[in-house]
Amino acid sequence: MSFTPEIQPIAPRPPSTGVIARMVQITKVYGRGDTAVAALTDASLEIHAGEVTLIEGPSGSGKTTLISVLGLLLTPTAGEVWLEDRNVAGLGERALPALRARNFGFVFQGFNLFPALTALENVAIAIRMKDPRATDVNRTARRLLDQVGLADRAHHLPADLSGGQKQRVAIARALGGDPPILIGDEPTAALDTKTALAVMELLRELATAARRAVVVVTHDPRLERFADRVVRVDDGRIAAITTARPTAPRSPT
Amino acid sequence: MWTLARKLLLHDRLRFAVAITGVSVSVMLVLVQVGLYYGFMDTAASLIDASHADLWVGKKGNDSFEFASPFDERAYYKVASVAGVARAERLLVNFAQFKLPDGGDLGVQMIGVETTRGRRALLEPWNVVAGDPHRLAEPGAVVLDRTEYDKLKIDRIGHATEITGVRAELVALTDGIRSFTTSPIVFADLRSARSYLPQLGPDAVTFVLVEVQPGLDPAVVQARINALPHLAAYTRREMSLRTRAYWSDRTGVGAGFFTTAVLGVIVGFVVVGQILYSGTLQYIREYGTLKAMGARNRAVISVILSQAMISAVLGFAVGAPLAIAMRAAMRAANLNVALFPALYLATAAITAIMCMFAALLSIIKVLRLDPASVFKG
Repeated sequence: MSFTPEIQPIAPRPPSTGVIARMVQITKVYGRGDTAVAALTDASLEIHAGEVTLIEGPSGSGKTTLISVLGLLLTPTAGEVWLEDRNVAGLGERALPALRARNFGFVFQGFNLFPALTALENVAIAIRMKDPRATDVNRTARRLLDQVGLADRAHHLPADLSGGQKQRVAIARALGGDPPILIGDEPTAALDTKTALAVMELLRELATAARRAVVVVTHDPRLERFADRVVRVDDGRIAAITTARPTAPRSPT
Repeated sequence: MWTLARKLLLHDRLRFAVAITGVSVSVMLVLVQVGLYYGFMDTAASLIDASHADLWVGKKGNDSFEFASPFDERAYYKVASVAGVARAERLLVNFAQFKLPDGGDLGVQMIGVETTRGRRALLEPWNVVAGDPHRLAEPGAVVLDRTEYDKLKIDRIGHATEITGVRAELVALTDGIRSFTTSPIVFADLRSARSYLPQLGPDAVTFVLVEVQPGLDPAVVQARINALPHLAAYTRREMSLRTRAYWSDRTGVGAGFFTTAVLGVIVGFVVVGQILYSGTLQYIREYGTLKAMGARNRAVISVILSQAMISAVLGFAVGAPLAIAMRAAMRAANLNVALFPALYLATAAITAIMCMFAALLSIIKVLRLDPASVFKG
């Protein structure tokens, strides 16, 4: 495998057709006074459509806080989050669910599927939750499962699925509503190597085929070959952003 | 949301069974306890409710039917002569001693009614299941309830005994006429009853039953009778309510039964609340995931409330038949559990409210759930 790293400047630039979200000098402080902890300090990041962005760093470095702010799950203490051509960082709690529903899908390490629901129902419930007025929900859910290669497992419960299959169901669920940004928090950490690489390959396909931005937090450097950019976070700051142009074969050997 | 709620509830069948058991026991307790209360009250007022009188006239100050003070018969004539009274009948109520076959005595409640051949009395035995009630007009004829067979140690129509030393013969049996006190009710003609109650004197009357002229407002006649000295007139419904209130308030039976019913609601509330809360905690990451994906609080809350409503509906569906079964079992012990549509509706509503409140803790948990917490591994 070979790839050519390239250091890119972080300075803000005018919105382009490729940038679908921007974080500008984000600071997040937990607690107050003597117990205050700065989880993020002056972090700036652009998210590009059609790209896979990996976020790496040691435990406690601020990776999860970074994607939580990006995904509008946390309100920053300072800074701006640009989405849909406006700064949404200061929006109240009432406006955020709709924004998240329109713009983000989330994939988690632990899958977080309802054990009582089949694969199809897990995807369908997310579609309904995002848009209570959605029609043909089951058909849309089937299409999403087909997209991740699990159409034949639609009526299986999570307990009957392998780890990789569960994560694919979770990815299908995250695609409900066709969000432009997928955020994964260690989506491969609970999977074996072969399965993990297959899941990353799926995420890469979803990024390139649909011009979707995929942001993945990971500890695993082996996943860098699937990334267009690698963001290194250290001690609450973005230490480096490297551009990687992967040339490795798509299927793991 | 119903699909998700139903599947979450049913996923752990044991926990689901516990929830339904809790609600159904609560429903059964409420229905049976409140039903027992109303059953006792129906029993207490049964003679009044079964009468055909428009008005009950008694001595002013009487609180109850069983312990009403007698008054002189002259008052009866005054009542009978009031304008608007179509018919007035004397009623004598007091306690007498019934002689048992072994020589002992048992206190009975004597009901002396005015019988007239060929005309229905304003109060007469009902639910007659054996014998000839028309013979009540004969001297010494009495009518008893067959549920008192064992207590009175009688075994057949025609059984002869003494009441306060005067001969009495059983001429008919009823089914289901019981007193709120432990004393069996004995019907007799007024003249016979006076011989069984010598302590009251030959001219005593406890109540005057009044039939108002057709088309006339009973309240008008009631007012006229109330103008007479020392007498108080009540409509049948008012008399019934007074008697019920007497037993409910004076004995505390109302407070007792309703306290048990409230305890039943609390039991259901605690069980359902605990089940729903543990279920919410079990799926907290999944709920957090839905919130992270943009689900509004009301959508997630509706899942929890739906689980509560499913528990309420199914618990009621199990508990109500249980209450009916209990009623049948208690009937064998001569206990009347009054179950009626309004009670079912009220219990269903209480059950639904109870389950919704039980879901409150879970709802608060979900409302306070920070969707960012799902990222915390």
